[in-house]
Amino acid sequence: MKLLNFVTVLGFLKKEFVQVLRDPRMRIILMVIPMMQMSVFGLAISTEVKNIKLGTIYNPNDSVFRRIEERSFSSKWFIPAIGRGTLNDLNSDPLEQIRSGRADAVLISPPGGITKAIERGEGTVQLLIDASNVIRAQSIERYMQSIINEVIRDEFHIVAPTPINFDVRILYNPALESAIFMVPGTMAMILCIVTILLTSMSIAREKEMGTFEMIISAPVKTWEVLLGKTIPFILIGLINAASIYMLAIIVFKVPMKGLYWQLAMATLAFIITTVSIGTLISTFAKNQQQAMMGGFIFLFLSNLLAGIMFPLDNMPLIMKTAAYMNPMTYFVKLLRNIMLKGGSPELVWTYVGILVAMAMFTATVSYKRFHHTLD
Amino acid sequence: MTNIPVNAVDVSNLTVKFGDFIAVNNISFSVEKGEIFGFLGANGAGKTTTIRVLCGLLLPTSGKVKVSDVTYEQGIEAIKAKVGYMSQKFTLYNDLSIHENFAFTASLRKIPSDTLKRRTKELLEFIGFSKPMNTLVRDLPGGIKQQVSLAASILHDPEIIFLDEPTAGVTPVARARFWALIKQLAKDGKTIFVTTHYMDEAEQCGRIALMRTGKIIALDGPENLKKTTFPEPIIELNPKGTIPSELIEQLRINKAVDSIDSYGMKYHLIIKDPQEWNQLSINIAPYFVIRQIPPSLEDVFIRLVEGVTR
Amino acid sequence: MNLQFNFKRALSIAKKEKFHIMRDPFTLTMATILPVLLVLIFGLAIEFNVKDIGLTVHDSDRTFSSRKLVEVFSSSQYFNINPSRGSIVDAINDLDSERSKASLIIEPEFEHNLLAHGNTKAQFLLDGADNSTAGVILGYLGGIQKAANFKLTGTLVKEPIELKTRYLFNPELSSPWFIVPGLAVVVIAILSILLTALTVAREWENGSMELLLSTPVQPLEIIIGKLIPYTVIGLAAVLLVVLVAILGFGIPFAGNIMLFGIGSLIFLIACLAQGMLISVLIRTQQLSMQIAMVTGLLPSLLLSGFIFPLESMPKVFQNFTSILPSKWFMIISRGIFLKGADFIDLKLPFLGLFLLCSILIITATKKFKKDLEP
Repeated sequence: MKLLNFVTVLGFLKKEFVQVLRDPRMRIILMVIPMMQMSVFGLAISTEVKNIKLGTIYNPNDSVFRRIEERSFSSKWFIPAIGRGTLNDLNSDPLEQIRSGRADAVLISPPGGITKAIERGEGTVQLLIDASNVIRAQSIERYMQSIINEVIRDEFHIVAPTPINFDVRILYNPALESAIFMVPGTMAMILCIVTILLTSMSIAREKEMGTFEMIISAPVKTWEVLLGKTIPFILIGLINAASIYMLAIIVFKVPMKGLYWQLAMATLAFIITTVSIGTLISTFAKNQQQAMMGGFIFLFLSNLLAGIMFPLDNMPLIMKTAAYMNPMTYFVKLLRNIMLKGGSPELVWTYVGILVAMAMFTATVSYKRFHHTLD
Repeated sequence: MTNIPVNAVDVSNLTVKFGDFIAVNNISFSVEKGEIFGFLGANGAGKTTTIRVLCGLLLPTSGKVKVSDVTYEQGIEAIKAKVGYMSQKFTLYNDLSIHENFAFTASLRKIPSDTLKRRTKELLEFIGFSKPMNTLVRDLPGGIKQQVSLAASILHDPEIIFLDEPTAGVTPVARARFWALIKQLAKDGKTIFVTTHYMDEAEQCGRIALMRTGKIIALDGPENLKKTTFPEPIIELNPKGTIPSELIEQLRINKAVDSIDSYGMKYHLIIKDPQEWNQLSINIAPYFVIRQIPPSLEDVFIRLVEGVTR
Repeated sequence: MNLQFNFKRALSIAKKEKFHIMRDPFTLTMATILPVLLVLIFGLAIEFNVKDIGLTVHDSDRTFSSRKLVEVFSSSQYFNINPSRGSIVDAINDLDSERSKASLIIEPEFEHNLLAHGNTKAQFLLDGADNSTAGVILGYLGGIQKAANFKLTGTLVKEPIELKTRYLFNPELSSPWFIVPGLAVVVIAILSILLTALTVAREWENGSMELLLSTPVQPLEIIIGKLIPYTVIGLAAVLLVVLVAILGFGIPFAGNIMLFGIGSLIFLIACLAQGMLISVLIRTQQLSMQIAMVTGLLPSLLLSGFIFPLESMPKVFQNFTSILPSKWFMIISRGIFLKGADFIDLKLPFLGLFLLCSILIITATKKFKKDLEP
């Protein structure tokens, strides 16, 4: 068997690196911006609902209600609504408060106060919630319910447990902190922007500039061109990943319960897959603009369908299928599992295998689509 | 055993279609070793398409192509290994230095590094390049870019070199220098296949092929072309002053005149009937300075092209 | 040279841009159809009311009571029961390997304790990694506990204080009503920024900008001229999306259509101007593209208040999001669609949008270097 000659591939590597790194602005985009994004999104994004503006309508004599209100504002969840008044103040029409955005929810005491209402046997407190944001609405109800449960316990000294009780243990994230959960998703999003955009535009750029013609006027083999055009970006992606991981683990104290080689393997698989997809896009694109649009569509769809922002389990079958054909879905699961749960081998090998299969599939199609002639 | 000379390029019945559009329509020709072969024609005539086929960059729809003894059946790679190609966009990477461009081209063609060093030195000497090797291509003046491009395309010392409008947009001095290089290459035994719009460059070719709407409408050496296209000499009419506008029209329909075309401020007239012309020339003598001129390739070109359209 | 703004010249640039766009059917379709398609698909796909939660059940008691408890879980619409594969360790492993999101472990003395002592407990393990679904599941647990108490002992546990919730503006807590107005904002923001980020950079790269600059045309005229046709396209896309929202999803349009129209207009112009600013500063397509993605895609998705609540961010970041047009229009879009908000309610977002829009256009104009040096 002839020994494979990597001269051409090496030549490509040199050229691509020189081109990419020569432009100082490109250097910033590749190295600095992902770190910046990690910092911003790592600190900013959480699914936890806080600072909920709570309006209250009650009679000043209603001591129980006051206790509920105190508890709410001293919890980390609720803050007073903007410009809240009392029942007699016209400004405090609850509907108006919510519509204008001064309050996210309004808690209304029963007429005569809670204590009297309980004596009547109808101790109902009404909670009006702005349900235009479903996520917030769900949380608001839950939080308020737990506050009221606490107040009930304290006010009415109920000691005896109900017949059936649950001993609840929350695993992996006992405090239900959301930042930790979000970081893997954010990392995945940041990583693949660079790989997809660089690779998808790379071949399209050469076609537009005319240098592609020059390349295929030489007797180069497809694998030489494809490897030459993908390896540099894989390396750049890996360096990116390393810096993002360091930032996340050291600065944001994201746990790393699993093994580093698992992380490395998963990252490599994902980067190779996204670079492969970018290359595939560039075999379809005739110019840079089309490559960009293709890259954008892929990025947008994969970001939305990766289980980062919305739960995948509840999607209709078609969408779920699409989500399970999305490499980002698997990478996010891998990151979460490896970093937060310690990396169950069964899961890690399965998902890495799936990513590798995707990479091989897209690489094969790119290979077949690569023309050595100008058509 | 007799030594049959092998042509550098053999083309028979080459047709190239893009969908319904016929870009190259059943052309046949041969190029000898060591020839400078010129390809002329308007844009869209099929020149670039033909060159691309000969370089292995485009598959023929039908017909046979043999380049340096290699046919398409033997694979495009074999053809590509033997030729050097400089495209219209004269493809170097603007954001790379000359050294980096050469290194990349060498890696494409798997030229070993010592050969690369040697060839680089030879070629840069050949084109008289004196700037530092790490100059970025985009910082080079236009004419020098062309020459460096040529050097890159022959880095692997091919026997046949295809140049697609290599001197477009370059100063006359730079053009002249470029053609000096081409002629030197031909002297060294290389076969050069060049497309051009410039008539003065066409004059320097061994043979020229004229293409129009996919067909070759003429193929011969420059001098022969002139002789065959204009068996009669061309008359140049140089107006002495302002001339009445109807005069040219009258001349055009005159039975002594085959055709009359404006040439800048002057007119070129082709005689149909020599005897009638003698009389006519005396009549119009007050208006023009009349003299015979040898036909130029431009005249040939216009005549042949017009001939096809008429 | 005439340095005054000449609207006629801007209009002729607009006309030229229109021809470019019309002859590029690919981009045209993308810009108008893509938003509609995406909103349609994801509006249908996204559901926040968590169901089909995988629950591993490990029942070592196997009594009437324990089975009844399991029944309570399975007959709620929320849980799918995965029977245990063996030991308690497996129940935990199922959470590790994500086969289930929660595990119910019933110990051998379950029924005995209930009959002997009047109360008993079962262990409930929850995968807390995904804290939002975990929170929702915890919320379900309260109702399940009530139902379990009733089913197993006949006791109806009545709390002294009951919380009665009324959902305003979206009584059924419908996810599409929440998603569609927000997704529309995100999609349109991203597309607009991308569209314009390319156009000026492309003209620099292919040399036609040089041509424009050799005429007396002023940068502001070029910018306005280019903004006009893209704004028209953007408005068409907005219209289509609104129609899909109302006709396709039945989302009520509670507010003023004129107000929404004005808001979308300012929003579109701001996003287009952002893209244009990028392409004015960066003269290569490749780089413009990267920057447009970085400043367009992720911020619009993550920092506009679409899914992740702005109120939960550190103050610094909350203030930072004020430079994103999508943040302001998100408030306007959801406000008008669902809450019937009027201009007074929305004066702050409108002000924010308008300021951003002006700043972006002015900066783009100032930064538009008329010389040819990069």
